Amino acid sequence: MAERLPSIRQRLSRTLIIVSVVWGLAVAVVVGVAVGHEVDEILDDALREAAQILLPLLATDAFNLTMGDAQTLPAAPHKEEVVWQVVDIHRGVLLRSHDAPAHPMVAVEYRDIVKASNGWRVLVVEFGKPDRLLMVAQLGSERREAKVEAIEYTVGAALLVGALCALWLRSRVRRELLPLTDLKNAVAQFDPLRPGAHMAQVSRQELLPVRDAIASLGARLAARVTHERAFAAHAAHALRTPLAGMMAQLAAAQRLCPEDAQPMLGLARQAADRLRRVVSAILTLFRSGSEVKWQLVDLAALLPQLQADDLLVSVELPAELAADPNLLAAALANLLDNALRHGATRVRVEVRAQDKGFSCLSLQDDGPGIPEDQRVALQSALGAQAYQNPVGMGLMLADLVARAHGGALRLPPSATGCRVEMLIGPGPTAAQTPSLPTQPPLASRW
Amino acid sequence: MRLLLLEDDKILGEGLRAFLQADGHAVDWCQRLAQAQALRNEPFDVLLVDWQLPDGSGVDWVRSLRARGNHTPVVILTAHDLLSDRIQGLDSGADDYLVKPFEPEELSARIRAVRRRAAGNASPQLQFGDVAFDMAARSVSLNGEAVELTAREWALAEALILRAGRLVTKADLESLVLGLDGEVASNALEVHIYSLRKKLGRQHIENSRGMGYRWVSHG
Repeated sequence: MAERLPSIRQRLSRTLIIVSVVWGLAVAVVVGVAVGHEVDEILDDALREAAQILLPLLATDAFNLTMGDAQTLPAAPHKEEVVWQVVDIHRGVLLRSHDAPAHPMVAVEYRDIVKASNGWRVLVVEFGKPDRLLMVAQLGSERREAKVEAIEYTVGAALLVGALCALWLRSRVRRELLPLTDLKNAVAQFDPLRPGAHMAQVSRQELLPVRDAIASLGARLAARVTHERAFAAHAAHALRTPLAGMMAQLAAAQRLCPEDAQPMLGLARQAADRLRRVVSAILTLFRSGSEVKWQLVDLAALLPQLQADDLLVSVELPAELAADPNLLAAALANLLDNALRHGATRVRVEVRAQDKGFSCLSLQDDGPGIPEDQRVALQSALGAQAYQNPVGMGLMLADLVARAHGGALRLPPSATGCRVEMLIGPGPTAAQTPSLPTQPPLASRW
Repeated sequence: MRLLLLEDDKILGEGLRAFLQADGHAVDWCQRLAQAQALRNEPFDVLLVDWQLPDGSGVDWVRSLRARGNHTPVVILTAHDLLSDRIQGLDSGADDYLVKPFEPEELSARIRAVRRRAAGNASPQLQFGDVAFDMAARSVSLNGEAVELTAREWALAEALILRAGRLVTKADLESLVLGLDGEVASNALEVHIYSLRKKLGRQHIENSRGMGYRWVSHG
């Protein structure tokens, strides 16, 4: 199964969301600092304004006023946003608003704006004489509340804008990536071997080099395939006719020769027949390449056509699978030939269904088998497609055929004999796989 | 049977001729279309035609034969193994198509099959009254008893029964049995006919004096 790769759209969306959050937080910090500073300035100006109003008012006759409880000026109970004290630096608080504390809000040495330890922000100015002070203050919580509100609104707005941008970008990216889907479809329909074939145009400048590169690759591959097909056609004629001549000469010689020469000519004919099967397999594979012509293959019908005289092949029924019959025949002929050459007298063939629509075609023979170290080396070489030694022609052909079908060749351990497994891919859907008729046509039935 | 083998490859042509002759057939081997064309008036049971020949296409030649009304069975022998090639070969009018390399025994079987079909017999077993032929096993029996025939006698019987009911001239019979290369004494045919009648019964082979012989089914 193909590994799930990162999606451009998801990566861009994720990046935008992260950027939006970081941006929102950064803006909130900057706004918080700026707003805090401005709020402090505004509220400090308000304290000074309040002090400017209080100074002349208190200077008129403040000390003759009738004090309320706890030496506070008489006033109806209310929540004071701004409190004040008149402090004598020797005797303490002389006058105060009713929410102001009874002791000086800050030490009497301070002047101008001072931040008190209890959270008050206090303006200290001299009141008529150097030893008398007016302290006007405001609670710090009021300022914090103003700052927090400003930051909350800023962060909220930034995140909202970020989220909307992410949604918009997601939709936008999807639209911008549509030309990639179009290109994928164009590549799927592009058959460079078809005369006059050309790649469809793309609608984005960035995709132009990709399209050109694919078209160029297609042209190179088409040239190579054409060359190989031409070679295969010539090779077929150049190999088949002399081989047919050799087989005909041997057959005639066997008919005409004395009795004692028959066994030798029989062996020569067997060798020629093996050569015929190998040549046919190579030519079939060479010409087919990776073009698999899928159809439902019944091994019970196919194997008797490939069977050598000295090898008993049994098939576990049912033995049907979707594959290219010619390629499969070429591979099986070579695997059976391998088994025969390595001392097997019987081969058992079966097909097992695997996960994800794969089929496993296995051949188990009764020969001496492969030593474990050699089996491991062969399996490793097949896995890496390193077809030089120790992989022989039969295994190489079978592996190439299996790979052309989306699978591979395996050599699992076997307690007795040798076991070879061809993993065959699922191929096209069942509806697209031509099936063999299960019954002969009506006209031919008994 | 008398066969025309049209094959330009010397080794294959010689090998097939030797094998088919050993199989009891009379084989005329040509390496050029022009040579085959020169034999157009000779009677043949089956034509074995290579596709690619030095002076033209064997398939085109078969097509022209059919266009002229020649219905002699044809087997194409070729290295062309693509499905489209087989379709083209068979559509040219050939009766069978064999891809090289092949086992000569298979070619022999196909020759017998196409000839049988041309004679209107799907089965290799032919029954003519008390005489039964097995064309695949090349055996004959009279009233259920096996009868031994020499290769020449078998060839003669085969030539007659494949044309059962039809008159076969003495010249045609000689060429069908011996081919162009066969040398035969002036009365050899009569000698073999006599021998065949003796083994299978006189009533099966009718002699039209001065014209030829006819296999008559007494069933």
